Order: sequence, then structure tokens, then C-alpha cells
Amino acid sequence: MTNHPRRRSMLLGSAGLALAAPALGQPARAKPDRIVVNASGGAMANIFRRTYFAEFEKLHGIRVVDTSPVDFGKLRAMVESGNPEWTVTEIGGQDATRVKQMNLVEPLDASIIDRSGYPAAAIDSHVYVSSAYSTALGFRTDVFPNGSQPKGWAQFWDVKRFPGPRSLRNHPVDNLEFALLADGVPKDRLYPLDMDRAFRKLDEIRPHIVVWWTTGAQPAQLLVDKEVVLATGWNGRFFELTKSGATVATEFAEGSLKSSVFGIPRGTRQAYWGQQFIQVMTNPRLQAVYATELSYAGFNPATMDFVPEEVRPLLPAAPGNLEKQFWLDVAWWTENGAKAQERWNRWMLRR
Amino acid sequence: MSSRVADARERLLLLLALPALVLLLGLFAFPVLRLLAMSVEGGSLEYFEKAALDGLYVSVLADSLRIASVVTGICLVLAYPVALWLSRAGRLGLALGLFALLLPFWTSVLVRTYAWMVLLGRNGVMNRMLRDWGLIDAPVMLLYNTSGVLIGMVHVLLPYMVFPIYAALLRVDPDLGRAAEGLGAPAWRAFTRITLPLSLPGVSAGCALVFVLSLGFFITPALLGGGRVIMISMLIEQQVREFLDWPFAAALSAVLLAVTLGIYALVGRFGGKSHLATP
Repeated sequence: MTNHPRRRSMLLGSAGLALAAPALGQPARAKPDRIVVNASGGAMANIFRRTYFAEFEKLHGIRVVDTSPVDFGKLRAMVESGNPEWTVTEIGGQDATRVKQMNLVEPLDASIIDRSGYPAAAIDSHVYVSSAYSTALGFRTDVFPNGSQPKGWAQFWDVKRFPGPRSLRNHPVDNLEFALLADGVPKDRLYPLDMDRAFRKLDEIRPHIVVWWTTGAQPAQLLVDKEVVLATGWNGRFFELTKSGATVATEFAEGSLKSSVFGIPRGTRQAYWGQQFIQVMTNPRLQAVYATELSYAGFNPATMDFVPEEVRPLLPAAPGNLEKQFWLDVAWWTENGAKAQERWNRWMLRR
Repeated sequence: MSSRVADARERLLLLLALPALVLLLGLFAFPVLRLLAMSVEGGSLEYFEKAALDGLYVSVLADSLRIASVVTGICLVLAYPVALWLSRAGRLGLALGLFALLLPFWTSVLVRTYAWMVLLGRNGVMNRMLRDWGLIDAPVMLLYNTSGVLIGMVHVLLPYMVFPIYAALLRVDPDLGRAAEGLGAPAWRAFTRITLPLSLPGVSAGCALVFVLSLGFFITPALLGGGRVIMISMLIEQQVREFLDWPFAAALSAVLLAVTLGIYALVGRFGGKSHLATP
């Protein structure tokens, strides 16, 4: 009860600020007092607040309210009800093709959003690819010093040249691709995946995998404890270790790239401001902050100029790293995931 | 007169139990029924057919039952002496014993699971000790296999076995044992003829509890099994979270529930049902 007046005066204060902000040559559009951006939350939300939200509020004088988590079912329900609450929302990488098929997002307006210089794989008519992460190889630098670590999955499979216990994820995603690459399938001819061939190749490495990991924290922990000397994992986890001085580094050769994407729910009233918000997300200086803190670099080619030099080689989207890797085919997995998982379980149980 | 007092007391107790009952009905019984209904969606048994005919699910269920039995057995062997000692310990011994049992009991399962990784790992405390003593040359694999899962699960579930047995032993009149010894029975005889049979209700309650909890175990086997041990609950979680195949997940859950209830009924029959309710 007692803090009501205070809260009201704060709201009035921010509304006043919004009114006072200059229009900065924007076309005459009705300005809402706020837009809603829905994303994953957590550490990401804090950095978004400091970068994209702050910049958008400064540029347009419109407050950004953030919500979480990412929820495909909710997005669908909102769009179907005809009045989406979100102006912009993050979309799980695995749903990027589904949102387009199901017509849940507005097309992106190229006259507002400038993606010149973005790699072709990161340009889509309906979703904005904000950053990339990768399942890559983490290794102990004391066991493999001076760049002597395995580069690519054929070498990971070579237990004579690169001895030591290893860990892979207890999941078919990525591993089927890695097995095929190890077996000599070229990166651009992976899909549709040849499951028989992949599982045959996995049979070879199986005795050398001491742990099939489940949670993202596990491979990092296993490397730190010297439980294994090589482990696949999400690059952000290895990035944290390297930054904190652990003897762990990341090899990106033939890593599996996935993207974080954003879209504008179809029918949202502030669609125009959604396009403007996404344009703010292309700002390389802000992308660089995000990349430096969490390793998830965006695709504006100028981003790297703002990232400290020693951090650059640690980013999956850095030039030099990007070309070494392949993009996971989300559509294939949407179609075949359940079948692959059952086969994986069966393979795991075989003694 | 006294029966009327008992009646009134019973009514009062029922009234006191009412909130919990309503909560159970609303938050447990209702969702379970919804789940069961989901498994026969559209009046078809196809999901049960898949669960029964696909060797994968049958063998995982069999594995889960096997692991649950072994865990129950190990817990029983470890817990009985502890419970016996607790029931006869002095005040200080009892306090120390309960403290040692309850401290891990109150610690998060996840934390304890990670602690086992530190202890049992290839470069863990255990392996380093064995190596320093010259007992082994190469590290022993204590983790990321069935033995790791068993160690972790027994650790988590041990208190669930100790407490019912301890409670049963407390109710055994110590004079009975003394009387037997007074009549010339050696101590072991007094134990096998008097104490052990009288504590059996606690044993069966503990076994039922540990077995049922083991069947649903999830985090510990996933982390300490290193992927090699698959429990039925892990497959259910996959169906729910990853493939959104809720009817199939519901069918698997229904099978697990049926097996659990079946075991409970068996224990009730052979272990004395009346005691089961009050461990």
C-alpha cells in the first residue's frame, strides 16, 4: 500500500522522459509508450538490458519491457488469438523453420533492417539470426599443447594418434553428423543423414567414450577434473573456462553451428517498432558486448572490430572459425528426431 | 461411553486430515487420472502396443526393476545394523547417528551426485588413495557404469530404509529379548527368534519405499551412469520434453504405475498390510 505513490511517480517519470525524447527524424508513426521483447532471460537478459534495450530506449524514447521464457506454444496461441503481447520474440533455433511454415511471424522489412555483409546462412526473410553457438571440441591444453589437438572428427576418432578418454553427448544430435564427417562425408553432403553409416562409425569410438554427458555443465567439469582429455560441448561453456584461466581450449574444426533467432509475432500492433528494434540488434558495437561476455557473436561483419583481439579466436562466428564449421540442418532433425532418438537409445543399451 | 469418545476423536482426526486429502485429490489423483486418460487417447491402445512390443521399452523396464531390486537389497543389508544400533544407542549415540543420517538427507540430490563424481572419478579422491597405497596401477572405473549408479542411489535412499526399521525396532519390547536370554537362549538366537520377526513390518515398509523410489530415479542414474544406464523414467522424460509425444509418455507412465502398484500389493500381502501404513 505504502509504496503505491512512489511506483506511480516512477511510471510518470519514465513516461515524461519518453515524451521529452526527440523524434530523431523518424517517419510520423504513432509511438507506443512501450514494446515487449520476449527472450531467454538469465545472464542474457542482463546484457540485453545494457545493450539493445538501452540503445532502443535512447533512440526512440520507447520503453522496452522484457519477458521470458521462449515458448513456442505460447507464440502460436498469441498469434491465433489475434493480439500478440510480444513485439519481438526469441524463437528456439529448432523452431525457426516451423514459425515460417505455420505463418506465425511478420516478414522482416529490408528497408529498415540492414543486413548487408551478413553471411548467406544468416539471412532469412522472416527471422533475424541474432547470434551463433556451436557444439565444438573442448580439449585440455596440457595434454595437447601448441596446437597438437585433434582437428576435425576423423582425428577425434583416431585414438592411436590422440590417446585419452573422451566424452560425447548422450544424444543423437551432432553425434550422427560428427560420425559421418569422421567417416569421410563432406560437410556440404551430410543431409539427409545416413543413419546406418553413422551408427556403424559410432561403434568404433564407443569403447573410448568414458562418459556420455547429459547436462551442459558436465563436459566442462569432466575436462577440469581431468576425467577426460577431449569432450564435445557447447562453446559458451568452454569459453567461460578459458576466460577463467583453466587449461581448457576450444577447437572449432567441423563444429556444429546453430543459431539463435528472433521474429516479430504476426499481427502485433507495434510491428513497425519491432522492425526498428531488430535494426538496433544489428548494431556491431552492441553485438560485440554480447560476444565478449558470452561468446555468442552476431553476424554483423563489423562486430569483430569491437571485440578485444584475444577474445576473437574464441567465438564460433569469428571469421576463420565460421568457415571451418557446418550448419546443423534443423529441418532434418524436426522431421527425423524421434526416430533417431529411439535408435540412439537402442544403440546405447546394446552391451 | 468410551466408544463415543473414540468416534468423536476419529471424526476430529478426519477433519484434520481433510486439507491434505483435498490437496492430494486435486494435485495428485486428478492429474494422474488425466495422464491415464491421455494414454488411451482416441480409444486406441496403440501407445501401449508400442511400449509392449518394442524391445527397447521392455528391456529398459526390466533393467529399472533389476536396479531397483539391487538397490533395495544393498540398502537393507546396510540399514538393518544401523537401525538396530540406533534403537539401542544412548542419547549421545542416537544424536550422532541421526545427525549423520539426516545431514545428507537434507542436502540436494544434485549436490550429492556431483560430490560422488569428485570422490569416485578417474582422478578422484578414491582412486588417488588406492594408487598411493599401491593397491592399483591404473584407475578403477567406479563411475559412469552400473556400480556408480548403485553407489549414488544407495546413498540417497539409505535413510528411507533406516527410519522404518528403526521405528519398528523401537516398538519391540526389550524385555522380550532379555526374557529369551534369561531362559538360556544365546544372543543370536534371541535376535533371530524375537527381534528380527517383530521388526519385519518395518523391513517390508522400508523395502517398499526404497524400491518404489528407485524405480522413478532420474538424475542420479543420468549423471553417474555416464549414459550407459537407462531407467524408464529417463525415457518418459525424453518423450515429454523432447518429442512432445505426451500420449506415449502417459502410456509408459501408466505401465510404470501399474508395476509399482503390483509390487506394493505383493508386499502388502506378504509383509503385513496393516503395518505398512504406519512404518
